[in-house]
This record gives sequence, structure tokens and C-alpha cells, in this order.
Amino acid sequence: MDPIEFRLPHTIQRPKATPNHGPRTHTTRPIVTGTSVIAFKYKDGIMMAADCLASYGSLARFRNEKRLMSVGETTLLGVSGDMSDFQHMQHTLESLLTQEYDMDDGQKLGTKSVYKCISNIMYNRRTKGDPLWNAYVIGGLDNGQKMLGFVDLYGTTYQSATIATGFGGHLAQPILRRRVEGREDELSEEEAVQILDECMRVLFYRDARSLNKLRRAKVTAQGVEISEPYMLETNWSFAESITGYGS
Amino acid sequence: MARRYDSRTTIFSPEGRLYQVEYAMEAISHAGTVIGVLSKDGIVLAAERQATSNLLEQSLDNEKIYEMNDNVVAGVAGHAADANTLINQSRAIAQRYLLKYDSPMPVEQLVRRLCDMKQGYTQYGGLRPFGVSFLCAGWDSTFGFQLYQSDPAGNYSSWKAACIGENYSNAQSILKQEYKDEEKEEAGPNVRTVGSQMTMDDALKLTCQVLSKTIDTAKLSSKKLEFATITLKAGKPFIHVYTSTEIDEVLKKYESVIKPADSQ
Repeated sequence: MDPIEFRLPHTIQRPKATPNHGPRTHTTRPIVTGTSVIAFKYKDGIMMAADCLASYGSLARFRNEKRLMSVGETTLLGVSGDMSDFQHMQHTLESLLTQEYDMDDGQKLGTKSVYKCISNIMYNRRTKGDPLWNAYVIGGLDNGQKMLGFVDLYGTTYQSATIATGFGGHLAQPILRRRVEGREDELSEEEAVQILDECMRVLFYRDARSLNKLRRAKVTAQGVEISEPYMLETNWSFAESITGYGS
Repeated sequence: MARRYDSRTTIFSPEGRLYQVEYAMEAISHAGTVIGVLSKDGIVLAAERQATSNLLEQSLDNEKIYEMNDNVVAGVAGHAADANTLINQSRAIAQRYLLKYDSPMPVEQLVRRLCDMKQGYTQYGGLRPFGVSFLCAGWDSTFGFQLYQSDPAGNYSSWKAACIGENYSNAQSILKQEYKDEEKEEAGPNVRTVGSQMTMDDALKLTCQVLSKTIDTAKLSSKKLEFATITLKAGKPFIHVYTSTEIDEVLKKYESVIKPADSQ
């Protein structure tokens, strides 16, 4: 919701001149980054997961990062890519929520609206040649309807029953498509968690910028719940049987 | 004496009045009546046209009732040209909201933006206020059907039944008498539901009844009227602006409540 804005007579209010931002800046590469986010629809709503790592190139720098956040009471946001750009988006969404609170008219921003706002910001930044170097996964329940969408640094958007960013698109998406597609309204929570963990395990084995510590989140009619970090069990004994490239 | 304080809207009179705003409202009280009635299944808006001529191309001529949005329809009373500007502004405001939030604009927010603009013209710029009052009938998913009345001062309020334009006080008292209403408190935060006992049928009937008592002509006809309803179809708001044939059908259906010409 806009702050209260109205068109004053032209004798009083001139159209706004474009502000001077100082030197022009263009993002050229991400610095501190998060890897895949995966999400899918299940019986009670949306389930999403992301690991707790923010890498500094090949250094596993920040190992307790939150890459999942709630927006209001009905929307869940997952992010991969540059973390400072994510923090900027967090501030923007925070002021959006503050405006909603100030409006105090009983209306709440639905998931669809949050999705549209983020999409507009992302595309406008790309058009200026100064993108927010992220891929967002936005999920939630709008009047009982499950919604799950994706926006990236180009401003490309799409909605699907299963979404995965980064490496997840290569490694997890095939698993998600096989196991979730067509069964979004039947998948129980237990099975959903199991699918999620399986995908995150594969990602930990094969994505060199991932971490074994992850968070899981769900949106249901009861609201948004983001879990505490937990570890997945992995088995590396196969490594001993590898021959070639060393002893 | 009052003349010295008239010409600039930014000035209060010694008695604390804004004469320009009051004169604007005076202009509206000579304009064609618009009536709105809220029912639990929808809202009825009816208006009396003042420009009538056999030469008017009625099907293309919207004088009183305009669609603002997919979920809001409004009836205007007052200066037609002023009304047109405000209608255009509101339509643009509603579309900008849709573009930004991919969701239809909540009715009250649209009304509020419109009223903030009208208020600006009573305080800044030395320009005269808009000589228009609105009856906005709309639906949104949070509060359901709502009917708002707004005036040149920029005030707005929500009504179960309201009337603006000529004979509005007469109409208002009849509406007050005849409106079937039962307040029901619904549990939950931010729910201001008012349980109306009126059905759409009741609302149409009441509207015809009130119209017949406030309009000066001997017999109500589709030539003199504009009619619209907003209801829900498949869970989505549906605005129906009636054609003259449809208006005639409505008048025929409720002719029992329409005061016959002889007993006027």
C-alpha cells in the first residue's frame, strides 16, 4: 500500500524531479552468496528448505545464515544468491509491512501481492543494469489457495508446484518433479519432509558450495513456521573405494 | 459580509465554516438523485438522470453511474465535468494498485484516495472544490459488500443505505424506516460484518419504492433512470449496469411499491 499520496493542485505540487544518487553503480558479480533453495506444494501448504551457509567464494564463511524468512503471516520467502542484496530486499519488505500496519484498515498483503512487488523490483533493477543478484522462492496461502513462485535477477517469474534455485534446479528438481507433481494435494507432511531431506542430502553430496546444516520451513493455514537448524546423516564410506586422481 | 471569505477555499469564515465547500454541497443538492442500498447478496445503485431528450443516445450515454474497477461501481451527483475528472483519476489509481499488487484494490482504500484528493482542493492551491458527491458500491474479499458515500469536503462514511442529490433527506428518512437490518457480531479480529436481513430482491424493491417518492416525474421510466447492481458470481464480484429494457423489467416487477401517478 502506498503511503497516503494524492494529487495536489499543480500550483502547489510540481512533479518530482529525478533524484541524484551520486556515482552510477552497476552490480557485476555477487560476493557473499547462498546456494540452492528448494520448495514444493504439499497437502497442508508449502514446504521449503535452504542450508545455513553463506559462502565467500569458495570459503564457507557464515555457517548460521537464515535464508528463509516470513513476510507477514501467510508468506514464506527463500533466497539464494548475494546476501547483501537479500538484506536490501528484507529492508524494503519491512517498510512495505510497516505501511500495511500504519494503514490499519484490516487489509493484509496476500502472497500474490508480495510476489508481484518483488517481481517488479527485480525487473526494474535489471532494466537499470544494476540487478539484485538473487533468486527468490515465494510461497504461501492466499485464501486457502496454495501459491508457489520464483523470481530471479533478470526478473523472470514463473509459478509451479515444485521450485528449485541454483544447483537445486539440476539435482533436486528431477526428484521433486517425479515425487510431487500431480500429488500436491495428497502428500502428507511426513512424506514431504522425507522428500525434502532426500533432495538436500543429494545437494550436500554434490554441490561444492553447500553445507550439511539446513533449515526447513512450512506455510499452512496456521501460519509460517521456520525450523531450527538440523543436520542430515551422510555416508562417505564410498570415498575409500574410489581409484584414480591420487591414491 | 460572508462574501469576503468566499473566494478562497483556504480561508475559514469567522464562524469557522468553509463556505466554498458548503456551496459545493448546495450545488449537489440540486443534482439528480442517486440511491444505494446494501443487501447481504449485493448492492443496488439507482440514479435519476436530469438530462433527458429524445435525441440522446441513451445506450452510450453514461451520466450518473460509472464502473471504477472490476469490483467497484459508483454513482455521482453534482457537476458532471468534475465527476468525470474524479472518475478518471480513480480508475487510474485502481489500475496502478492492480499493477503493483496483482490484487484488486480494497474498496475503502480507493474511496480514501479519492477523498484525500478532494480534501486537498479544500486546503491548498486556491482552487475550488470538486462539486461532486459519490456513492461507491464495491466488494472485496476482506469486508465483502460495502457502500461508501463521499462529499466535496473529502469526508467519507460507510452506509447500509444512502442517498445523495435532490430530495436526499426525504429519501434518507424513508430508507431509515424501511431498511430491514439486524446487527450481528461476528467473532474474530478485524471483522466488521454487519448482518443485513435484506436480500437483493428486498433491496431492489426498496430502491424502486424510494425512487418513486423522490423523483418528480409522474411515472418512473427507463428514460429517466440509470440502474446498476454489484453481486457475486462464482466468488467474484460482478457489476451489472442495466440497459433500458432491463430497467423497464425491474420497474414492472416492483410496480406494486411504486406510487401510482394519481395518488401523488
